[in-house]
Amino acid sequence: MSRPTPKAVLEAYGAIARVNAGSALAYRADYVVGILGLLVQVFLLRMVWEAVYADRGSVDGVDLSTTIAYATLATVQYWLSNPWNFSVIPQRVREGKIAIDLSRPVSFLGQVVAGQVGTTAALAPFALVAVPFTVLVGGAQPPPSVGAGLAYVVSLGLAYVITILLSSLVGLSTFWTLEVGGFFMIYRMVSQFLAGALVPLWFMPDWLRTVAEVLPFQAATYTPLAVYLGRLAGPDLAAALIVQAGWIVLLWLVLRLVWSRALHRVVVQGG
Amino acid sequence: MRTFKLYAALVGAGLRGEAQYRGNLLVMLVAGMAYQGIGLAFVWVVVDRFGAIGGWTLGEVFFLYALRLTAHGLWVVPFSQLNQLDLVVREGEFDRYLVRPLNPLVQVLTRRVGLMQAGDLVGGLLLLAYATTIVDVDWSPGAVGFLLLAVVGGALVEVAVQLGLSGLTFRLLSTRMLRIQVDSVFGTFGNYPLKIFPSVARFLFTIVLPMAFVAYFPASVLLDRTGELAVPSWFAYGSPLVGAALFTLAYLFWSRQTSHYTSSGH
Amino acid sequence: MTVVRAHDLVKEFRRPKRFTGAFGGLRTLLTRQYTTTRAVDGVSFDIEAGELVGYLGPNGAGKSTTIKMLTGILVPTSGQVEVAGVVPWKERERNARHIGVVFGQRSQLWWDLPLRDSFRLIGKLYDVPREQYHPNLERFTELLDMADFLDTPVRQLSLGQRMRGDLAAAMLYNPRILYLDEPTIGLDVVAKERMRAFVAELNRDEGTTVILTTHDLDDVERLCSRIVLIDHGRVLYDGEVAALKARYAPYREVMVHLAHPDEATAVEVPHAERARAEDGKVWLRFDPETVQVADVIAAVLARHQVSDLAIIEPELEGVIHQIYAQRSVISARE
Repeated sequence: MSRPTPKAVLEAYGAIARVNAGSALAYRADYVVGILGLLVQVFLLRMVWEAVYADRGSVDGVDLSTTIAYATLATVQYWLSNPWNFSVIPQRVREGKIAIDLSRPVSFLGQVVAGQVGTTAALAPFALVAVPFTVLVGGAQPPPSVGAGLAYVVSLGLAYVITILLSSLVGLSTFWTLEVGGFFMIYRMVSQFLAGALVPLWFMPDWLRTVAEVLPFQAATYTPLAVYLGRLAGPDLAAALIVQAGWIVLLWLVLRLVWSRALHRVVVQGG
Repeated sequence: MRTFKLYAALVGAGLRGEAQYRGNLLVMLVAGMAYQGIGLAFVWVVVDRFGAIGGWTLGEVFFLYALRLTAHGLWVVPFSQLNQLDLVVREGEFDRYLVRPLNPLVQVLTRRVGLMQAGDLVGGLLLLAYATTIVDVDWSPGAVGFLLLAVVGGALVEVAVQLGLSGLTFRLLSTRMLRIQVDSVFGTFGNYPLKIFPSVARFLFTIVLPMAFVAYFPASVLLDRTGELAVPSWFAYGSPLVGAALFTLAYLFWSRQTSHYTSSGH
Repeated sequence: MTVVRAHDLVKEFRRPKRFTGAFGGLRTLLTRQYTTTRAVDGVSFDIEAGELVGYLGPNGAGKSTTIKMLTGILVPTSGQVEVAGVVPWKERERNARHIGVVFGQRSQLWWDLPLRDSFRLIGKLYDVPREQYHPNLERFTELLDMADFLDTPVRQLSLGQRMRGDLAAAMLYNPRILYLDEPTIGLDVVAKERMRAFVAELNRDEGTTVILTTHDLDDVERLCSRIVLIDHGRVLYDGEVAALKARYAPYREVMVHLAHPDEATAVEVPHAERARAEDGKVWLRFDPETVQVADVIAAVLARHQVSDLAIIEPELEGVIHQIYAQRSVISARE
């Protein structure tokens, strides 16, 4: 088999992304309900934060409006980058279709990533509709500077890559466990919390914050938001971006390793 | 009685089927607990940092949370298959349930056994056992009796809402997302003292989506906080009855909706 | 005694109009426009106890919808239906005890459990007493040759084995009426024959009334004495299979294979017409009322050298094709 040209490979990935986008859109009524649910969630979160702040001006140097902005953005960001079907691997393995995927002339991991990007792309228009409303019912503020805004975009891009790498890793565990519904749920919940998608890291007790900081999850949600809100600036910002990039390299290496083991397993067991 | 015996037989069959995938049991239990535990972690961090929510202490919020979670676990274990009703209706699987001499709802509910959901119940009971020791309540027989009734009543309120919504499946075909969202609202915001929300939300959560009856009202009674309610206190005492009444209505509605079933293919 | 009575049955389906394009889903949800289709349009028939009736029609003709009304799955839009004295959709549970239903495409067995467990559960569901359950299970196990896989989980069974299991499950409680919906679909010849033999035996020995929908007309030829043909939700024909053939195919054919292929188009026989001629073969069609088959053959043999010949009975399939073809011509003229 001759190696396909880069152009052919890109086209193949494009096709996979489109298929995934299509199946995400097939359930548009569900997404409309999903957006309504998101709005309710954001609104009620705001109520909770207002209640806990009560008359306090600021806690840990963070005022109410910043916390609400954090909660709103975190909810939207998480919703967008973590749709329910966030990895196609378990389904493919269970249905025995993994062999077909493996026989395609593009790398399997590439297919997974393309699928994920397609799903997010399909959700993006809904996010555009949803964001103004969430800002309205929740609350948000612009980044303190243009620099912070630009740094946010960079950090968000890195965070998205980390999210995909993490979910692919959990997805690969299917090769060993076959049924991963339970693992996914545990991963989803633990990662969501430790990523700071619910409570910003700065409110966590010290020990918990330390745990969260040494794990990769916070780099997927907390870091870009802290950048956006100007909580990370100057040398701290640079350090945070380097940490994000470091996680990407590390996770990529782990994924390669796990993938080669998984492949070996498929070859041995015949899928 | 016959229905109950058949229910037990079908659940037994489901368990035997599930036992073939035994390795998953523990993972599923933990997964169920993780799903509910994340909300608890949020409440815990926030109250730990801020001292109280709407004047309720950490122990009181834990108690409220435990009451809600136990009630949730109590219905979601036997009713886990309600989540699959969209599929059952869309694929025409419901045909089979209509040509057997047993209540179709019982047959839907016994399709499979909800192992992940058992995590909710186990988690709820553990938390409830812990929370009852840290709140300032005189556990007289009356109080314990009300607690038990309140948990059952709360379960009935939640299942009534879910059952009612799922009844729409026979006409709309797709209600799963709607039910997930409603369940998520119950699961997220049923755990807070309702007083922190604006009056419109309080009204909605009492009358339209009767979340207040699941845990907030009964907890207010047991924690002697009925004074801060926006409703008369007999409202709060009557929570278990509300559950029974709503469940009856929801079941009647669901049964009537089955006549709109159109099966699949023609 | 009439056990199944359908009178002027109508079923309409009303569906919200679907919108496509951007926000189509939302528009579908918000608008209240419906499209109505009439799947069954005034169907009437009576079925006597012990009859074995084929209920036939092309896809979308309303077969399944009728069966679903008879079984109580669907509520008719109008008209009456009565099965063993019960209105099925009004008294579903009582109706359920009288009927056995086999959907060829969907099993009622418990996927993860051994076949035997499914039987046990069905026995409980239908309150089958022990003294009825055990002899039935033994008899069906023997008739359907199930002994080898009674303890195998259903998901590991072959399609043929699973169908046998489904058939036995539907008969465990000795229902008076058995509905079979595509019972032989996807089965190999041997498995098909086993199913047919079992159904024929039940009908003969126990007097079970059987209503069969199928695409395989061999099922019908082998089993049914009566057929009800429907199309576009209406009954086209209701009567004996033999009478149907006599009415729509009042001819026989003789296929002649000629030793000299180029003579095929030149064959002329009195009282018989050349229906088809190709590859040195000719099909001669004649009316058995006016001419004997022996005379036709003799006439051919007198003039031509013949290497082979065969007498062809009209097949139900051809007859039914003809009915639908004629009908569509008629409706096209209207």
